Amino acid sequence: MTTAVVNPRTGGSGGSTAVAARARQVVKAYGAGETRVVALDSVDVDIARGAFTAIMGPSGSGKSTLMHCLAGLDAVSSGQVWIGETEITGLKDKRLTRLRRDKIGFIFQAFNLLPTLTALENITLPMDIAGRKPDREWLDRVVETVGLSGRLKHRPNQLSGGQQQRVAVARALAARPEIIFGDEPTGNLDSRAGAEVLGFLRRSVDELGQTIVMVTHDPVAAGYADRVLYLADGRIVDEMLRPSAEAVLDRMKAFDTFGRVS
Amino acid sequence: MTILRTSLRNFVAHKGRMLLSGVAVVLSVAFVCGTLVFTDTMNTTFDRLFSQTAADVTVSSKDAGSGEAPATGRPATVPGSLVEELEGVEGVASVSGGAFSTGVTVVNAENENMGSSTGAPTIASNWTSIDERSMEVTEGRLPRGPGEVMVDADTADRHGLELGEELRTISALGDFRSEIVGVAAFRSTNPGATVVYFDTGTVQERLLGDSDVYTDVYVTAAGGVSDGELKERVVAELGSGEYRVWTQEEYAAEGQDEIGSFLDVIKYALLGFAGIALLVGVFLIVNTFSMLVAQRTREIGLMRAIGSSRRQVNRSVLVEAVLLGVLGSVVGVAAGVGLAVGLMELMGLVGMNLSTDDLTLRWVTPVVGVVLGVVVTVLAAYLPARRAGRVSPMAALRDDGLPAAGGRVGRVRSGVGLVLTLAGAGALVVAAGSDEAAGGSLFLAVGVVLTLVGFVLIGPLLAGGVVRVLGAVVLRVFGPVGRMAERNALRNPRRTGATGAALMIGLALVSSLSVVGASLVASAGDELDRSVGADFILQSGAGQPVVPEVVERVRATEGVAHVTEYRWLEARLTGPDGESVKESVTAASPTYAEDLRVETVAGELPAAYERDSMSVPEDFAKAHGVRVGDLVEVDFAAGGTAELVVRAVTASDTSVDQGAMYLSTATAERYVPGDRMPLNMMLFAKAEEGQEDAAYAALKGELEAFPQYEVRNQADYKELLEDQVGQLLNMVYGLLALAIVVAALGVVNTLALSVVERTREIGLMRAIGLSRRQLRRMIRLESVMIALFGALLGLGLGLGWGVAAQRLLALEGLKVLEVPWPTIVGVFFGAAVVGLVAALVPAFRAGRMNVLNAIATE
Repeated sequence: MTTAVVNPRTGGSGGSTAVAARARQVVKAYGAGETRVVALDSVDVDIARGAFTAIMGPSGSGKSTLMHCLAGLDAVSSGQVWIGETEITGLKDKRLTRLRRDKIGFIFQAFNLLPTLTALENITLPMDIAGRKPDREWLDRVVETVGLSGRLKHRPNQLSGGQQQRVAVARALAARPEIIFGDEPTGNLDSRAGAEVLGFLRRSVDELGQTIVMVTHDPVAAGYADRVLYLADGRIVDEMLRPSAEAVLDRMKAFDTFGRVS
Repeated sequence: MTILRTSLRNFVAHKGRMLLSGVAVVLSVAFVCGTLVFTDTMNTTFDRLFSQTAADVTVSSKDAGSGEAPATGRPATVPGSLVEELEGVEGVASVSGGAFSTGVTVVNAENENMGSSTGAPTIASNWTSIDERSMEVTEGRLPRGPGEVMVDADTADRHGLELGEELRTISALGDFRSEIVGVAAFRSTNPGATVVYFDTGTVQERLLGDSDVYTDVYVTAAGGVSDGELKERVVAELGSGEYRVWTQEEYAAEGQDEIGSFLDVIKYALLGFAGIALLVGVFLIVNTFSMLVAQRTREIGLMRAIGSSRRQVNRSVLVEAVLLGVLGSVVGVAAGVGLAVGLMELMGLVGMNLSTDDLTLRWVTPVVGVVLGVVVTVLAAYLPARRAGRVSPMAALRDDGLPAAGGRVGRVRSGVGLVLTLAGAGALVVAAGSDEAAGGSLFLAVGVVLTLVGFVLIGPLLAGGVVRVLGAVVLRVFGPVGRMAERNALRNPRRTGATGAALMIGLALVSSLSVVGASLVASAGDELDRSVGADFILQSGAGQPVVPEVVERVRATEGVAHVTEYRWLEARLTGPDGESVKESVTAASPTYAEDLRVETVAGELPAAYERDSMSVPEDFAKAHGVRVGDLVEVDFAAGGTAELVVRAVTASDTSVDQGAMYLSTATAERYVPGDRMPLNMMLFAKAEEGQEDAAYAALKGELEAFPQYEVRNQADYKELLEDQVGQLLNMVYGLLALAIVVAALGVVNTLALSVVERTREIGLMRAIGLSRRQLRRMIRLESVMIALFGALLGLGLGLGWGVAAQRLLALEGLKVLEVPWPTIVGVFFGAAVVGLVAALVPAFRAGRMNVLNAIATE
């Protein structure tokens, strides 16, 4: 179950330094004039391929907005965003949708699955929509990896919260996207189920060579990442490589104090 | 107060979602009110017309018919001496004689009929003081002598008639030509009749057949004498018995009665269709409120948690329903008045000019409209309101945001539905097998109602199966999008069931009527083939009798082997059982036995045409114990009493000439005075062997000068039947379209609310790569599924009703079952189109949804 898997796209096990997603001078602002609120303030960021990146920050720091902009869910006010070699800023809805379908995987905090479809149908949905046949072997491996083999015929309401999130992880992995975005994927789970899901994400990076970007405010979740970006007031204010939960927590506390003092 | 406030806020907050339900209420109420306003206005119009065209006291013959063309071709008259006689009566200011006939046809130089195409009569009249009151000469002058005529302005307009043109007037007494010297316009509304004026002598000599008679004598009262008093004095002078004397009020009431019963038929037919639309609207309202309550479950749970009682929650929903009902009805009443004006304009197009000055809005109309709208809305909202009351406070705590799927269909409901459906089906089978019309139709009615209610109840249950089967056939092509559409249509069977059921009602009626209509045409055609031996049938479109000249011309036509005369006589029949009944008997030439091969159950039909003989139908024979050889006393209304021998008993299960009693023209002529003998209603003719086409052409040529008559061969006659049935059906379909439109609104409504409900799902699907096109297609397919589900149920139900009705009507001669498959298939695909159209707006709105807002978790 834990045999190393070679990522067929990158040809390596994630060691490539290539960049999976890039943002340059990204600004996202709402409203105008007096009521103008800047959610992202000239953000530059590179997301390394084959790595697990966590974006942290307090509420309102712009971390979700950053993810939405990187994932092509939201339009930027100015600046540029690339997924792989494709610039997505300025793309029309049609191309953007196709890009999300073919190159991006999503895991949301809640309501990840269509209630009318079975677990397996939910997993293969992006490929079904694209009219592609899922790669049987790969699919089996993914399903096995997230430990859902016995539950594929179940509807979402017959699964626990943790199982539902695992189905969502499997869906994100099944299409072999270039990059997976997670928006607080464990936010609704208890710590045990959360640890399980995070473990799968970690393993998919290590073993499958997947690229993952995750927004979270939970230091424990961030502890699973290779790299943590800290956002405050719409800017990237700090970064930590190979973090541990304790280190992340300490850094957060420091920010809080710093924020209070200023 | 808080309740009212929350209701109001909810109502305003959801006004978009209420809109479609509101439209359903508006449409139904508008239809009801429009019908009422329209028929009231017609009544007012005719009321005014009748009182305007009546003298204080009118004296006419007691035989005078009303409205329709006189059967003898000549109106019943009173002697001219009456005028002088009545002038002597005390309290009489003036007396004048009116001479007119409705048994005329007026044609122009091109032999075009100047008469109305709507069935309104052509009236040839002299110019009296009454006409002076209601008409005004707008061009030229009054006519003098048989060579001059004046026409009404509407007819002149319609046919582009001008002074100096020549018109030919055809009556039973022959025809004559006159030059137009004047045009007169109605001062008020012209109800559509064609009116031509001659001088008094011309009408008397050329149309009444006697220079010293009138049709009516008009008496004007002197000052201070009431119409009632005057009538009494006139009756005292003339004695009762010979004449009919009526006051202006009575005259108007009589006319009103006749028009009224005709208007009543229209009124109740239209109200019936309005009722169907209202019924369909109920489904729409029930569905809307159910969905609104479901979507508000959390909110309601919160209200309950902080202390609202069930009754308060319940009432708050009902208050919203009242608001919807009141708003919808008020708009509906206004729209109804607009609809009535539209109908009046429409009548103008076919020649009946109604003036909006007569527009009548009685106080009951808005009251009926508003009460109906509010009551129906509140009743429809009652069940959802109760369900709202039952929401537990726990609902506030559940955070799935989505209302409970309600996927399970109530077992009790399905059970009851199944029992009703089976009982209804049983009743239909009994009706189909019935050998007695009255009892059978009762079973038919019960069967129709039970199966309808049953289908509505088991609709949700059927939705599962039917949508799956349809999905397997239709949706497979569309891959995952089709699969999701199918699942969506299935996820709330109750909703799909109710939405489809609304469509089902209209389509069931359409398909059952189409079966009956097609069977009617097929049966009549079949019977024509089997029993009609005549090659040609001649009759007038407006039910006018055949003038003698035409009979002679047809007789003289080359290639015609024989001509059969055919007329009806009113008579009182007394059978061997001593009971006497009023019936209409058919006097025809003996050749009629060849022209129409009627089956007999006893005796031989040709024998009935012998001297002093007749035939009776099986029903009559049974009812009165008549056998072949018995004597029946026939007391003709036109005068003369005969004792006739029954020589044949005819079978009753025929659709042509059903229930006719035959005797020969010669027999009738022995008893009925010549001048009172009705004219022929129809002629039948047979061509000489091999001369059919030539004779047909020759007959058409002969009749060119008589455009009021149409001669048809068998093929043309069948086409006529088909056209008539087709026109009737089209009218009914047109009216049912209202119900179908309301049902389509229901589909729109369900989809729109489902889209709102599934906002998050839609966002999710868009995020993971569903394109707008795919999303829109998914919603369209779901809509098509719902529509096809309704269509399938409706067509199935309708076919069942139609077949049962045909089997029952086989007793009345509807022996051939014909299912109009093109219509049925057309309706099915039409329903798919309805589904596509209904999905347009909801699909567009779903496509426009912002992905981010949709997936925002909070």
